[in-house]
Amino acid sequence: MTIKILTIEDDERIRTAVRFALEDEGWSVLEAETGEQALENFNSMNPDLVLVDIGLPGIDGFEVCRSLRRASDVPIIMVTARDDTHDVVAGLEAGADDYVSKPIAPKELSARIRALLRRVKPEDSTSAPRTVGDLEIIPEEGVVRKGGEEVHLTKTEFHLLCELSDQVGKVLSREHLLEEVWGYDYFGDGRLVDVHVRRLRTKVETDPAHPRHVVTVRGMGYKLQA
Amino acid sequence: MKVRGLLWRRLPLRTRVIGAFTLGAAIAALVLVVITYGLSRQSMLQQREESSQRQFFANARQVQSSLRAENPDLTQLLESLPSLSGSRSIVRTGDETWVSLSLTPSDVPTPLITSVLELPEAKTMRYRLDDKPVLAFGLQLRPSTASTFNEVAYFEVVPLTEVENTLESLALILLVGGALTVLVGVGIGLWASGGLLRPLTDISNAATSIAHGRFDTRLDEVKDPDLDALVTSFNEMAAAMETRITRDARFSSDVSHELRSPLMTLRASIDVMQHRREELSERTQQALDLLNDEVLRFENLVQDLLDLSRSDSGPMENDLVNIEELVKATLALSDGRIELEIANSAQGGLVMGDKRRLAQVLDNLLRNAEKYGNGATRILVSSTGTDIEIAVEDDGPGVAPSERELIFERFTRGAAARKRGTGDGAGLGLALVDEHARRHGGSAHVEGREGQPGARFVVSLPKAGHR
Repeated sequence: MTIKILTIEDDERIRTAVRFALEDEGWSVLEAETGEQALENFNSMNPDLVLVDIGLPGIDGFEVCRSLRRASDVPIIMVTARDDTHDVVAGLEAGADDYVSKPIAPKELSARIRALLRRVKPEDSTSAPRTVGDLEIIPEEGVVRKGGEEVHLTKTEFHLLCELSDQVGKVLSREHLLEEVWGYDYFGDGRLVDVHVRRLRTKVETDPAHPRHVVTVRGMGYKLQA
Repeated sequence: MKVRGLLWRRLPLRTRVIGAFTLGAAIAALVLVVITYGLSRQSMLQQREESSQRQFFANARQVQSSLRAENPDLTQLLESLPSLSGSRSIVRTGDETWVSLSLTPSDVPTPLITSVLELPEAKTMRYRLDDKPVLAFGLQLRPSTASTFNEVAYFEVVPLTEVENTLESLALILLVGGALTVLVGVGIGLWASGGLLRPLTDISNAATSIAHGRFDTRLDEVKDPDLDALVTSFNEMAAAMETRITRDARFSSDVSHELRSPLMTLRASIDVMQHRREELSERTQQALDLLNDEVLRFENLVQDLLDLSRSDSGPMENDLVNIEELVKATLALSDGRIELEIANSAQGGLVMGDKRRLAQVLDNLLRNAEKYGNGATRILVSSTGTDIEIAVEDDGPGVAPSERELIFERFTRGAAARKRGTGDGAGLGLALVDEHARRHGGSAHVEGREGQPGARFVVSLPKAGHR
């Protein structure tokens, strides 16, 4: 079954060029010109991944991210013409899994898409269920329970939690997490990790402001503890 | 005079204010001390002289009347005369002298005796007797004509030790008071200069803060009307500057953003064409390559412009960046001809800063060497105590000493770059290197290589905790 990618972009020329490039990769590309259009048809299109431009007319890309997130955990890559801290962090907090800056080379865009579509590797020897404090993580099923109740995580958040739980108590650098979860090399953007850790905390911590499980080790990275 | 004025002006303002206050206090104290002492001394001596003189005349009258008696017992009389604070009397006739106790005739100086005997009026003289100040009075007496005595004179010697002691105490008190006044002057100078200079220090701190990129720095309101004008104008200036800087930054940022969308279409379209390269004729392929190169150059230019506008205004990420890892990761992306040397002292060296910007610094230096210096030959990472230095060397034509500052300016390229003619870069790469280095509290410069052709670009960054 071909993988379906929805691009939400108001500039027709960009949309077409991106469609050509992604179709060259063997993916099927769906298009939406506005956020409203995308949200309306989202269920019928049922894409495997969404590319959303931040600067949309009408409801903007941030709002599209938030609305999509409420309904689905589909991977979202936001496309931004402004990669200053404010826009990037706002987009990630709205629910995007990753971001790319215009003008992005199709090769790089494909690499980002592939990294997000990659599932938590089932062949991984450390993918056995594990318990950390009141958290129960079952990688095979993609399920996390906190105090017996299931917690809903996006794929990226789940991937991040699994990576941290592979080595409980050990500090993992942002570079390491970027490489394992997002497939970035050394030059990936550390803000991706920071924002996702923040989002993860709101779901798995009893008090996200004083995290007990996902702990920041200043200047070094993050670790998971019981 | 002029030289002294210059010297004075060269002193720090604070020193000058304190100096002026001290000098003023010293002069005031000196004048007060001298006048007070002089007046007190004069009035005390005068008072003493007047009271002694009254006593002297009274005694003299008594001696005169007793001289008229038959066989006067002058010695006893002299002993019985009232004595004012240890005054002693002496009566001298032509050949006989009666003296009260503890006074010898020679204690009265001859000039006084001579002048007393010359004229029939009272004479006063001040002198030192046994190294003590005394006041002596003398008067010619007229015994009755029947008297056997001739040339009778009565003298009285009044010690001034008491007055002198009082004056000494007074002098001491005045000196101490004067010294205290000078000290108070120094104190007021310190306080006043502190008060004067505090606003200046505040302004200097605020200006430094603005220079470091915190454009929203303002001075606090003050109540003092004199200072308020200064504070208001400073704040207005800072606000105007902030508006201008953000507007300039916004402009270049907006322009770059507008350029990014069409670039994205260009980039994607070219890649689609590249993907179908075999379907194109040889000539079309060549044209496509040209198009591709130009779009790449355009992309770099827009990226550099955007980074520069962000460098002007944008906030920086602050992380511990391991320079060794950064250099190795950057080199891993290059083709591996570059020799890497990391000094022991620099191994694992950390810099507090923005990883992506630091990576860009290194990347731009490599790109620069690639374009104008036949490619980088060696990267040397070393440590100088508080700084970590990254040096990128090439064996190209090098940079003439006259151009070594210039090439770090925006849109400037050195002679070597201009000679290429093709105009590969816009002259923004090194400007970015310089600005990023400075945003990290460091610096960038270029030097020659000892005894070899080529250039060495050095970026120096303060180690974490040394900024």
